[in-house]
Amino acid sequence: MSPFKKLAASLALLASVANVTYAGETDGTVKVGVLHSLSGTMAISETSLRDILLFTFDEINANGGVLGKKIEPVVVDGASDWPLFAEKAAQLLAKDKVAATFGCWTSVSRKSVLPVYEKYNGLLFYPVQYEGEELSPNIFYTAEAVGQQAIPAVDFLLKEGIQKFYLIGTDYVYPQTTNLVLLEYLLSKGIPLENIGGGLRKDAKGEVISAGKYTPFSHSDYQQIVSEIKDFAASGDAAVLNTVNGDSNVSFFKEIAASGLTADDCPIVSYSLSEDEFRALPTKDLVGHLGSWTYFMSLDTPANKKFIKNWKKWLKKTDASGVQKNDRVTCSPMVLSYNGVYLWKKAVEKAGTFEVDAVIKALESGISFDGPGGTVTTQENHHLTKNVYIGEILEDGQFEILESFDDVYGEPFLKGTFK
Amino acid sequence: MPGGVSARHPFQFNALRRLLPMKKTLLVCLHLLLVPFVYSDSDSSSRKMLEALALDRVDSVDDHLNALVETGDPFIKEFVDAWRVGEVYEYELENTEKVILHRVSEQFQLLTTGEVLEVPEVREEFLKKSRASRSLRKDLARITDTIDLASPNLHTRIDAALKLGQSQNIVYLPSLRSRLDRETNEKAKRAFEEGIMISLLKNAETPGERLGAVVRLGELASLKGRDLVIKIRDENEEGGDPELFAAAHESVLQILKRQSIVENVGSFFRGLSTGSVLLIVAFGLAITFGLMGIINMAHGEFIAIGGYTCYVVQNVFENAFGVQSGAFQWFFWVSLPISFLVAALIGLIFEKGFIRFLYRRPLESLLATWGLSMVMRQTFRLIFGAANVSVETPNVLNGTSKLGLVSMSDTRLFIVIFAGFVILITWLLLSKTNLGLYIRAVMQNRNMASSLGIPVARVNSMTFAFGCGLASLAGATLSLVSNVGPSMGQTYIVDSFMVVVAGGLGNLIGAGISALGIGVIDQFLQPLLGPVMGKIVVLFAIILFLQWKPGGLFPTKSRSLDD
Repeated sequence: MSPFKKLAASLALLASVANVTYAGETDGTVKVGVLHSLSGTMAISETSLRDILLFTFDEINANGGVLGKKIEPVVVDGASDWPLFAEKAAQLLAKDKVAATFGCWTSVSRKSVLPVYEKYNGLLFYPVQYEGEELSPNIFYTAEAVGQQAIPAVDFLLKEGIQKFYLIGTDYVYPQTTNLVLLEYLLSKGIPLENIGGGLRKDAKGEVISAGKYTPFSHSDYQQIVSEIKDFAASGDAAVLNTVNGDSNVSFFKEIAASGLTADDCPIVSYSLSEDEFRALPTKDLVGHLGSWTYFMSLDTPANKKFIKNWKKWLKKTDASGVQKNDRVTCSPMVLSYNGVYLWKKAVEKAGTFEVDAVIKALESGISFDGPGGTVTTQENHHLTKNVYIGEILEDGQFEILESFDDVYGEPFLKGTFK
Repeated sequence: MPGGVSARHPFQFNALRRLLPMKKTLLVCLHLLLVPFVYSDSDSSSRKMLEALALDRVDSVDDHLNALVETGDPFIKEFVDAWRVGEVYEYELENTEKVILHRVSEQFQLLTTGEVLEVPEVREEFLKKSRASRSLRKDLARITDTIDLASPNLHTRIDAALKLGQSQNIVYLPSLRSRLDRETNEKAKRAFEEGIMISLLKNAETPGERLGAVVRLGELASLKGRDLVIKIRDENEEGGDPELFAAAHESVLQILKRQSIVENVGSFFRGLSTGSVLLIVAFGLAITFGLMGIINMAHGEFIAIGGYTCYVVQNVFENAFGVQSGAFQWFFWVSLPISFLVAALIGLIFEKGFIRFLYRRPLESLLATWGLSMVMRQTFRLIFGAANVSVETPNVLNGTSKLGLVSMSDTRLFIVIFAGFVILITWLLLSKTNLGLYIRAVMQNRNMASSLGIPVARVNSMTFAFGCGLASLAGATLSLVSNVGPSMGQTYIVDSFMVVVAGGLGNLIGAGISALGIGVIDQFLQPLLGPVMGKIVVLFAIILFLQWKPGGLFPTKSRSLDD
């Protein structure tokens, strides 16, 4: 290209940018942001979401794009550094002017970008199960709310005749909030307070401010807690509700296995362990325990089979850098990311524009998409109605589905609603 | 089926034919080598019942399960365990009947007869994993417990008796009672009685029997019955049976007294185990930092080397022998000396490379080893990936042992013993060998030692390598209880320094005592304050302790002018 032609081309590009109503959108492409940690502690989990998003964009582009425009991803690295997430979000919105962003894993990263999205009037799709008690006009929570993961699992256990529940989690906002909601829910179901294990902490007025046992991140000594659980479960009708995050699960499950407590004696429902995490866990120690998600890789539906087939095909031929090609699985946060992109596409097509306010309005009006985990529908409160599945962990790191709850409404504000 | 070897042959033949594929091509693939077997008739009947269960060919599951209990065949337990972990398969070739295969150490056995099918290629496309439903597994667990009542192993018997008692299911009462009559061991008798009494709390025929059970549970100080007795006490507190209330109240007091003893003993043992982990982790540092004075920030990464060595050795064994083989179980024991040597070698290279230039500049050793630790962590990531890797626990250590009042997992017990072993070896090395004498001399005064003709440079290298080797041993041991990952060392570095500083620099016995002390205090505080607050209090206590005794527990007294 001669210098003159180059100049002409960039001038043309500039003109086209200036002409359109929404920035970030050119004649041929539309920019969307991908905001995940590709380095640091959270990289293990979040890199998979980056991969699935790139796959989804390629799939959509191959089928004609959105409103005739190809999606152009802008991938940035939050580096497991929460203030950096906010910076990167501002960069996506102010500099790249992306039409939508897909990203965040931890609740703290979401909380840190929230004001940025509200300030720039951006649109963020958040895909990972979370504690609720939040509703931003600029965020769509494709994630499981407490009522779409923790509570159905409790319903399942109650049906199985479980009478005692032990709550354990990592000491931060998601487990603390979830367990408070679960405590209220269990009490409302007639489970007496003495049948809820892990301990309660009350404030000066006698109000419960924390329920369950908490350990710091990367805690590795679970002897005391497991011996407590063993006593607790001796009556044979107890279960553990586990919101422990990350590495600690290895120590926890090794201690459980060594104590001789099997899944038949006392099932453990883990809310933060999906197929993707099992790749780094001793699955032998997890067999028979339970999981609760809105998608399992083992779902036997044509939509899911097609999704997995296309994903594997994409993995084989993609040349995106840093994508691990072998031994890949799919899991709920990945599918919720995938659903998010398609819901956004449908909303844009309904609104006929990439303009954020119009897209949000379209999303709020109720848009459905037949995803790999079943049909999901957007709600006015920025959450999704979707199916919930309870599964049992198999030795190959997959789930056998035991129970499904269809079309569960996504409600973020559950605290204080169970009487 | 009638007994006797001759009668079994037709069946064998049938089994063979059923397994043989109809197509010629498949025929070529299957080579069955039948191994002679001996089973009694009752065994084969329970095996047939299990097959019917696994193939879902039973009319009434309950009746079937009851019939299974009658056989009392210990094989049932083995099979149920295998079923749970996915070692049971349905095998169906074209045009043939389905059979159930049970995989034992890479060999498939025909369930009904126990024939070993040493099939080089049991064709995978015809194999389907068989799975028991949750409710069936729960029932089966009860059955195996009933069978366990007659187990030759004392602990298995005791556990089973208590478990069945706690289920409070009236159907188990007769078998518990008849077992109690036949039992000779005092401990087991107690457990059987405890199980029966717990069951009677719900299933007593007369109020008197119930009252008797409450009283007896108090005398037995039954921890397992605690919640149930408390419930009875609370139910009868107002408007209930006053006699029952008084008895329950008395029993609860007895049980709680016993419980506090058990809990304290339990906390002590758990503290010993936590302390042993701390000790094993900190001992390498007690040498490199405590004795040599190098502020070794890369200590944690040497721990990780141990973990990764264990992982590599495991993979080598897996590829060489297969996971199911007996030889595979040896990987952990082999990896212990290897991990020591690998880390010692790497330590030696680093010492020669740059640490030897830093002996007179301890603060710079902090920066240098900190940088080193980052380089090492990144190297682990490059080689093994960012995700944690998982190391299996060898079967020998998969279990629990009873230590008087408390039970402790065998992995934890092993760590306690291993920590003692490490102290012993180190102590022997330092105080009973010439090298140890040299090490002590060099550490006390490098110049003086040098002028007396001790090869100071070599002693320094050897000592540093030894410290690194110990750190790596810690990592290999920790793979039993924790995860192996690039940042695994970071979890332990703070604890290690804490132990060494609190124990007193240069004093290995001090490090040992401080590790055990911190462990025990931590475990006693945990039930009171929770893990988070417990840790904070321990750290705070150490700060205060160091204010009072800046040199730690056993400060090294020295005449050297440098100090």
